[in-house]
Amino acid sequence: MNPMEEMRREEEKLLRTDRLPHVWCPGCGIGITLNAFLRAFIRSKIDPNKLVVVSGIGCTGRAAGYVNVDSFHTTHGRGIPFAVGIKFARPDLNVVVFSGDGDLFAIGGNHFVNAARRNHDLLVIAVNNFTYGMTGGQHGPTTPTGAYTTTTPYGNPDRPFNIPHLAISLGAPYVARWTTYHVNQIQNSIYHALHKKGFRVIEVISQCPTVYGRRNDMKTPLEMMHYFQKNSVRKDDASFEELELSYNGKIVVGVFRDVQGIPTYEERYEDIIRRAKK
Amino acid sequence: MSEQKSMPPKKRGKVTIDEKRCKGCWYCIEYCPTKVLKVSEHLNEKGYHPPELVEEPPSKVCIACHLCELYCPDFAIVVEEIK
Ligand SMILES: Cc1ncc(C[n+]2csc(CCOP(=O)(O)OP(=O)(O)O)c2C)c(N)n1
Ligand code: SF4
Ligand code: SF4
Ligand code: SF4
Ligand SMILES: [Mg+2]
Repeated sequence: MNPMEEMRREEEKLLRTDRLPHVWCPGCGIGITLNAFLRAFIRSKIDPNKLVVVSGIGCTGRAAGYVNVDSFHTTHGRGIPFAVGIKFARPDLNVVVFSGDGDLFAIGGNHFVNAARRNHDLLVIAVNNFTYGMTGGQHGPTTPTGAYTTTTPYGNPDRPFNIPHLAISLGAPYVARWTTYHVNQIQNSIYHALHKKGFRVIEVISQCPTVYGRRNDMKTPLEMMHYFQKNSVRKDDASFEELELSYNGKIVVGVFRDVQGIPTYEERYEDIIRRAKK
Repeated sequence: MSEQKSMPPKKRGKVTIDEKRCKGCWYCIEYCPTKVLKVSEHLNEKGYHPPELVEEPPSKVCIACHLCELYCPDFAIVVEEIK
């Protein structure tokens, strides 16, 4: 069997196939992201018993329920604190937080900021579909200025979070952004990040055709995918301004930070315990 | 270059669609490099039109690139290389 066939077969084993078809709408990008994550994980050859997937609440949060490894579907916004606890209790595990923009940056925003600042050893896959998909398409902290949502019928007056820049400013050692059009790049990025330590952030711009796209001139899955395809530009050394997302504008993708040697919170904590025991 | 282009692709694949899982987003059709998938006429049990294969050898054949598998949000595609 060639490696790609082998991978597809292994992927089925990592899915709770009894729960498929999943709840996500036709063309929802969460499935593409989960697909890329599982493939990257298989390639990493990490023992599935050493992986924990943690999600918060939202459409993206349902991911935890479809993976056939230990997983936690936590409360809204609290994926990161649960993950921090898991990592503390079992430092030998690879802990991945897989959640949505609202979960991670609205209700869970403070957890994200402080976990990044402390460099907890977690991989965060942030699926940014510009909205609260699950609850019907309200605007959130990543909705582009001017976008139409159920709560911004005249256009969103807010400025969205610049997620990669936020993560970089807090010292996160690995920061990347892709869209769901970049199926291979997401996979490679996750594969690479799985081998690194510290607070690693991969933002995946994703389509929610059902409640976001249809209010913003992209009502079919393919229209949203075409938007990503036509407007993405790779620039690893992008400035703050270039990393900002504008309404239906350019999407700068790439790996914006990839550094080594920053001690993780868990390492520093272990060191304290060692010194205290002396 | 032009000579190379007319060469029929060497690798060949067999695509299997799990129609129960498919939700008819048609990414697989859009991103298949050899355009061997098309929207079928029939509906699956959830009411979506799954893709179907339209091979027209020698050039319009599945080349087992697996791209449709990567784009499928529903884990509905398996591609195997024909030996
Ligand atoms: C404490 C609490 N407040 C509010 C909600 C309602 N709620 C459920 S999902 C969600 C937003 C999810 O948005 P996001 O994380 O972007 O996920 P998506 O559905 O877009 O993937 C909200 C506000 C909740 N479940 N719990
Ligand atoms: S509502 Fe949006 S985010 Fe939720 S499953 Fe449907 S397309 Fe995906
Ligand atoms: S494997 Fe490649 S060539 Fe074959 S159907 Fe899929 S996308 Fe098309
Ligand atoms: S990509 Fe998957 S879900 Fe979408 S039409 Fe093709 S087989 Fe169906
Ligand atoms: Mg969202």
